Amino acid sequence: MSKQVNLTIDNQAVTAAEGALIVDAAKKVGINIPVFCYHPKLEPAGMCRMCLVEIGRPVIDRATGAPVMEGGKPKLQFGPKLETSCTTPVSEGMVVITNSEKVKAARKDVVEFLLTSHPLDCPVCDKGGECPLQNLTLAHGPATSRFLFNEKNHNAKHVPLGDLIYLDRERCIQCGRCVRFQEKIAGDPVIGFYNRGRQMEIVTFSEPGFDSYFSGNTTDICPVGALTSADFRFGARPWEMKATASICTHCAVGCNLAFNVRREVGGKNGSPSKGGIVIKRALPRQNEAVNELWICDKGRFAYQYSESPTRLATPLVRKDGELTPASWDVALEYAAEGLLGESKPGQAKDLLVIGSGRLANEDLFTLRKLAEGAGGQAALYSQSGGGDLLAQVGAAPGTNLASLGKGSVILVVASDLHEEAPIWFLRVKQAAERGATLIVAAGRPTRLDRYAKYVIRYAYGEEAQIVAALGDSPRRAELVEAAKPAAAAKPAAAAKLVEAAKPAAAAKTVEAAKPAAAARLVEAAEAFGKAENALVFFGSDGLGQSGAQSVAQACAQLLAATRHVGRPNNGLIPVWGRANEQGGWELGLKAANLQTALQASTTAYIVAADPYGDDPSLPAPSFLVVQELFLTETARRADVVFPAQAFTERDGSFTSGERRVQRYYPATPALADCRPDYAISAELGQHLGLKLEGRSAAAIFAQIATEIPAYKGLTYRRLAETTNATAIGAAKDPRDAEERRCADLYYSGAGYENTQGLGVQLPLQTLSPALSKPAAAPAAQLSKTGLLAVPVTQLYDLGQTVLPSALLRQRIGEAWVGVNPADAAEAGIEAGAAPAAIVQVVLPGKPEWRAAARIDERTPRGVLLIPRSMGLPLNAPLPGASIRPVVRRDSQEAASQQPA
Amino acid sequence: MMMLKDTYSAEIEATLAKYPPENKRAAVMPLLHLAQRENGYVTKSALYEIADLCGVAVTEVASIMGFYTLYHDQPGGKYRLQVCTDLPCALRGANEFLEQLCANVGVKVGETTADGMITIEAVTCLAGCNKAPMFQVQTGEGLEYYENQTVESAVALINDLVKR
Ligand code: SF4
Ligand code: SF4
Ligand code: FES
Ligand code: FES
Repeated sequence: MSKQVNLTIDNQAVTAAEGALIVDAAKKVGINIPVFCYHPKLEPAGMCRMCLVEIGRPVIDRATGAPVMEGGKPKLQFGPKLETSCTTPVSEGMVVITNSEKVKAARKDVVEFLLTSHPLDCPVCDKGGECPLQNLTLAHGPATSRFLFNEKNHNAKHVPLGDLIYLDRERCIQCGRCVRFQEKIAGDPVIGFYNRGRQMEIVTFSEPGFDSYFSGNTTDICPVGALTSADFRFGARPWEMKATASICTHCAVGCNLAFNVRREVGGKNGSPSKGGIVIKRALPRQNEAVNELWICDKGRFAYQYSESPTRLATPLVRKDGELTPASWDVALEYAAEGLLGESKPGQAKDLLVIGSGRLANEDLFTLRKLAEGAGGQAALYSQSGGGDLLAQVGAAPGTNLASLGKGSVILVVASDLHEEAPIWFLRVKQAAERGATLIVAAGRPTRLDRYAKYVIRYAYGEEAQIVAALGDSPRRAELVEAAKPAAAAKPAAAAKLVEAAKPAAAAKTVEAAKPAAAARLVEAAEAFGKAENALVFFGSDGLGQSGAQSVAQACAQLLAATRHVGRPNNGLIPVWGRANEQGGWELGLKAANLQTALQASTTAYIVAADPYGDDPSLPAPSFLVVQELFLTETARRADVVFPAQAFTERDGSFTSGERRVQRYYPATPALADCRPDYAISAELGQHLGLKLEGRSAAAIFAQIATEIPAYKGLTYRRLAETTNATAIGAAKDPRDAEERRCADLYYSGAGYENTQGLGVQLPLQTLSPALSKPAAAPAAQLSKTGLLAVPVTQLYDLGQTVLPSALLRQRIGEAWVGVNPADAAEAGIEAGAAPAAIVQVVLPGKPEWRAAARIDERTPRGVLLIPRSMGLPLNAPLPGASIRPVVRRDSQEAASQQPA
Repeated sequence: MMMLKDTYSAEIEATLAKYPPENKRAAVMPLLHLAQRENGYVTKSALYEIADLCGVAVTEVASIMGFYTLYHDQPGGKYRLQVCTDLPCALRGANEFLEQLCANVGVKVGETTADGMITIEAVTCLAGCNKAPMFQVQTGEGLEYYENQTVESAVALINDLVKR
């Protein structure tokens, strides 16, 4: 525990950690010093002067170093002026006065000054009702202003900083929270101040404007209505809305959300809700162990899919070749008959049940029960693998990225976290800035590289070997040997590895770079081995199911060998593509190779997944039942389609990549005839002659808690607990964690306190002996013919849960393919063309695909980067690819440059 | 599009060479000066180019440019006459001075005379607070300070400048 300091604030004795700021120390004893620019998550800036207080310090005798006494008490020296409590740390014997006439007068003046050019348009301002400026003006400001009304500076009011965020220049009080957030927290300074004094304004020069995945957070922390989101502006007044606790469904982080809803006529986005409850916005809900009080823009804006007018509203049954609306009874009956086919109940061994990580624990559990009971197989729809290892080597309970700093190592393998799990990117970056050693091992540069102590490059396909090399010292010795220039010519596997690790540099520096890359690997390995705590993230950059499986295996062995398992802040964190893929693995579903699994089955029941949209070449079962939100490609091929409720319409729980089980609650009433997934599956089960629990999510969760050892003893009530909220948080920070807990005036009114559950992390099983023994990593099997096409993830893709968001659609952009300049030149494709050259991507066994070529060094030589869910189905690395230039159909200009 | 690199590659190299490679952002200010010398103001494309050269976000470069009164983002006259109107100067009559000066010259604050010679601007503190009304003249080559000014003395100066 850090050194404690005693001081007095408004006659109260206060003890605070050394280095704590006065404003935080006061907050701890219930004294709210008003602030505008200060934010507990940002470095203090002292820009607004709202937090002025009187500060007295004991006079120290220079000769003796002891405090000078006066009348039995230490003599105090008060400064001639007031001081900002948000920038001044506490010190021993300090006396702080926050309520004197002098302080009150100063606050009054500061508010008067801040309002000189403020438009005072609260009645039409989105922040009105939750606005710190409004609140603090009422509490501390003067009733009238001495400034001349006519001299108010008038500025532009609806400035789109980008498609997502609007700026009202008149309302800005120049606190710099937004600028500091982007610079320090997001690491992406795409907005800044321009000019100074009264002319100071917020600007962006990025293209597109305010180009950051975290931009929405600035609207929460802006203490006035200057920054508003395109989603919510002019949408509703804060006091008209209710908040519902929810969990983001878009990646494995499991950010805690709050949905603000209200009753209205019509509904947003032409939603089918007529006079019903609609969602007005999504806000972060504070959970210091998960998302602190941030969310990414995907989490904030993509929820709109749940209100899309294209949602399925009734069951459909194929009649005369056409999908036609039917009643639930008819649809269920028909589906059950079809799925059973010729087999007897309980012996439908040709039945394949597929569920995805978009589903709740309760849904996935019911699906597994259904598959088992019917005698068939259940599979998790996932492009990744290795989830079965996490019960042993996952992040141990008590893990919190916020507590990682000096002495910890974080290894990120095969993941562009910024694209795959933005909030983890942010928290890993923060940990590195606090002193944690960050090792990034990737096949290409990622945004995290800049915060890494060690950047390790490998050739796609050799991920697992690199991870193995980090754990096993003889192998490293071999590497160093191989890296010596003389030995480099040897075709040893190790030499190849080092070769892979070379930065894309000119040929003559390659020789020199080899030993450096090997040395880096050795150093990184040593740092990892010696670390007090070590966390490993593995993602899906360039990996398919089997690749991910071997990477996970190698990571698990590395963690086991270095004893980084079973303790808080140690373990393996999978960067799954969906919110509850972890839940799928925990509940006994495994990712399967669909090509073979579908081949082997005659009937299939596919829930919340679109395998045929992702890969049209998959074999078709003779009878297909699909349960979905939308008429996907897969649903179009179905014999029966069940319309499911969106996650916003029901309750349930997810298990995050950190194995945290978290609850979400219904925010809006269900659309039309839709039912929760678990209820549909349970009823279908009944029609198949099975007895499945389907009455409520809570009842199923109770069953999970008795049947699945990891969930033993968990209840919905425990998931809803927030009692130990204060124990979570950046405990190692000198500023005490407590102040950070609630969404109070520091947080500007937007963003929610967590009152509905922090979730519970699952316990780990004991390590199996097999994992403790380091096994040789399998050599990469990728052939070297042609270009190697590898799948990569981009945050905004054409997925079913992104497209319906009108806001994000503009950010998705066109389909692209990453090409190295040398490969582009070989294929006769011109780099640097604007608009980018369109190329034809030819993959063996896949339909031809056109995309804009992104030609730069970020794509390694010999590789094509193919973004997932952007039109070209690619689930695993595929050699033998090639590209050809084509004419850009939509451009006259490009047509004239058509190659002969 | 005309790039600074095309015309000034040697100067850019020399400027960048003055700072350690990991601190290339230190070169933003001198490069902004260079860009301004080219056109009399900093063009948007120059901002992007400088951001690229120094490895910083373009918004940061713009922020730096926006902060300093000596950088301009708009074309202006040959001479820029910058009158301080901050509080101390305002108390000594800078606002009235500026208003009358503009009326005399026949432009509004921020505008340029029809002959393209003089731009009059209001700026923040120039550290001559006790000698207000005061202004500085940016000549393209350097800076000249004029303190304890009257409208007459300023108009006389403008007439001189036009003849220079
Ligand atoms: S826009 Fe908001 S957060 Fe940004 S400086 Fe202005 S008042 Fe502060
Ligand atoms: S980081 Fe992931 S869980 Fe969090 S808001 Fe973004 S998409 Fe949702
Ligand atoms: S100066 Fe302290 S809160 Fe702004
Ligand atoms: S206020 Fe005008 S020079 Fe300082």
